[in-house]
Amino acid sequence: MKSLPANFVIGAVLVALVVGVAGLSLIWTPHDPTALNIRGKFGDPSAVNWLGTDQLGRDIVSQLMAAARNSMTVALVAVLLGGSIGVALGLLASAIGGWIEDGVMRLADLGFAFPALLFAIMLAAVFGPSLTNAVLAIAFINIPIFARVARASANQIWTREYVLAARAAGMNKFTITRDHILPNIAAAVIVQATIEFAVAILAEAALSYLGLGAQPPASSWGRMLSEAQTLMYLAPELAFYPGFCIVIAVLGFGLLGDGLRDITDPRLARAR
Amino acid sequence: MFEMVDVTVRFNAGEALRGASLRIAPGDRIGIVGESGSGKSMLAACLMGMVPDAAKLSGSLSIDGTDMTGAAEATWQAIRARRTAMIFQEPMSALNPLRRVGDTVAEPMRVHLGLSKSDARNRVIALFEEVGIPDPVSRLRMFPHELSGGQRQRVLIALALACDPELLIADEPTTALDANVALKITDLLVHLSQSRNMALVFISHDLAAVARATTDIAVMYGGDIVERGLTAEVLADPVHPYTQGLLAARPDPQAIPRDANGSRRRLPTIPGTVPPLYAMAQGCRFSGRCSVEREECASVKPMPVGPRHATCHAVKRGEA
Repeated sequence: MKSLPANFVIGAVLVALVVGVAGLSLIWTPHDPTALNIRGKFGDPSAVNWLGTDQLGRDIVSQLMAAARNSMTVALVAVLLGGSIGVALGLLASAIGGWIEDGVMRLADLGFAFPALLFAIMLAAVFGPSLTNAVLAIAFINIPIFARVARASANQIWTREYVLAARAAGMNKFTITRDHILPNIAAAVIVQATIEFAVAILAEAALSYLGLGAQPPASSWGRMLSEAQTLMYLAPELAFYPGFCIVIAVLGFGLLGDGLRDITDPRLARAR
Repeated sequence: MFEMVDVTVRFNAGEALRGASLRIAPGDRIGIVGESGSGKSMLAACLMGMVPDAAKLSGSLSIDGTDMTGAAEATWQAIRARRTAMIFQEPMSALNPLRRVGDTVAEPMRVHLGLSKSDARNRVIALFEEVGIPDPVSRLRMFPHELSGGQRQRVLIALALACDPELLIADEPTTALDANVALKITDLLVHLSQSRNMALVFISHDLAAVARATTDIAVMYGGDIVERGLTAEVLADPVHPYTQGLLAARPDPQAIPRDANGSRRRLPTIPGTVPPLYAMAQGCRFSGRCSVEREECASVKPMPVGPRHATCHAVKRGEA
């Protein structure tokens, strides 16, 4: 058996770490992440508060763990939602072809042309800042990405001889799409989803940083960053911890996605 | 009864099929031979209603007297599988690598015959037995990569037979197989045609396979059916210069031709290559490569003459 690519292994370890911590926060955190303790603010790392406390005396480790869970949830829902709609549109475009395909793909181009984060900010501004709106905004910017990937891969599969054989056996386009196209583009879609997962984590952090995502008292890396910003000279470590977490999470999913692509499509790996 | 009358398939680049007529009755075994690009596969596509969207179709195609020209895709979907079926050249790529072969074969039965899962399974087992797949119960659950080329082609034949078609089109079914397996598949197709009274259209450039499999033959060149007749007669006594050239180019291992010095003679070939669609002559499409060519050949399209329906000016004049 060939050894796995390094980027896949490193990515998988980082992702396992982040997801593990997020999962653990469901059942256990060292302290209540939202419990205030004004008297113990700016606490130094200790046996009780492993990384110390913030400006309101909240335990930082507990906050980071809860934020990891929020971040994962947002990214998961956003990528699943945007991915499903995008893949469905891409498959539809590929199956029907003609002006419907052109129409869907030009709409996708339009989505691409618009800066993704700006669009998310616009949505959040129109519908009000909330975690749900952040999820919807991130999901929305994922739609054209997945539509494009799905259509490009599906168009390749449609020319395969087994699709011809299925057509010759009288199968309609829906059945062929379900049984032949979708399973054969799954690898490409999963790779894309992993990469978009990283982008979604970053987008959630950015939106929360701008105050358009998670609202207090919910924990979020982005919000922790923005709160720490004003205290940069007083307690720089408060900005460092969430920033480090974001880097780890984004790097982990990014590397995992790259590694998966290298495994599923060796030709691309050599080209890079 | 399938009947094509004067069917022409026109692309922007030119005509891929020029006025082809073909009549297929139950149990007929018809061979279609010709080089790559001669229109064999386009003829099959017409019979399946699978002509590419970019092509313009004229002439008429009818099934049991019902005109199918311009029929909707949904109508054709019901015709395919239920009445016509097709197997392809490459058994390696004609099966979805991610599906168990049993599921692939069961699918048309579930969709078109409305069979339950277990009924379809039983039918797949029966079909696998009919096409000579040993141990069908365990083969059902296998993926294509677990089967040999010959077995995959048998699976594809089973898929084609799923809904008891009246016509089976085999588009170069043995080209990708080794000689021994090819022979067995050819014999299987003949056997199935006879036992089911199913018409067989056998497309191939393997003249030996066609001779073995079919009773009637149509020779194609450049989108024209240039000669037709009983397989044995056409192969023994070709009339059209193209058929003559095709037969002369067959290597015969029993009698290696030697010249006066006793050294081997080169195998006769037809000079030149099939021109691309846009460069085809307006008249006889074989003009430019033909040994008995006259002035009129390149510009005037020859009409079928004689019992063989040969499209050749020389045959018409009684010269060939």
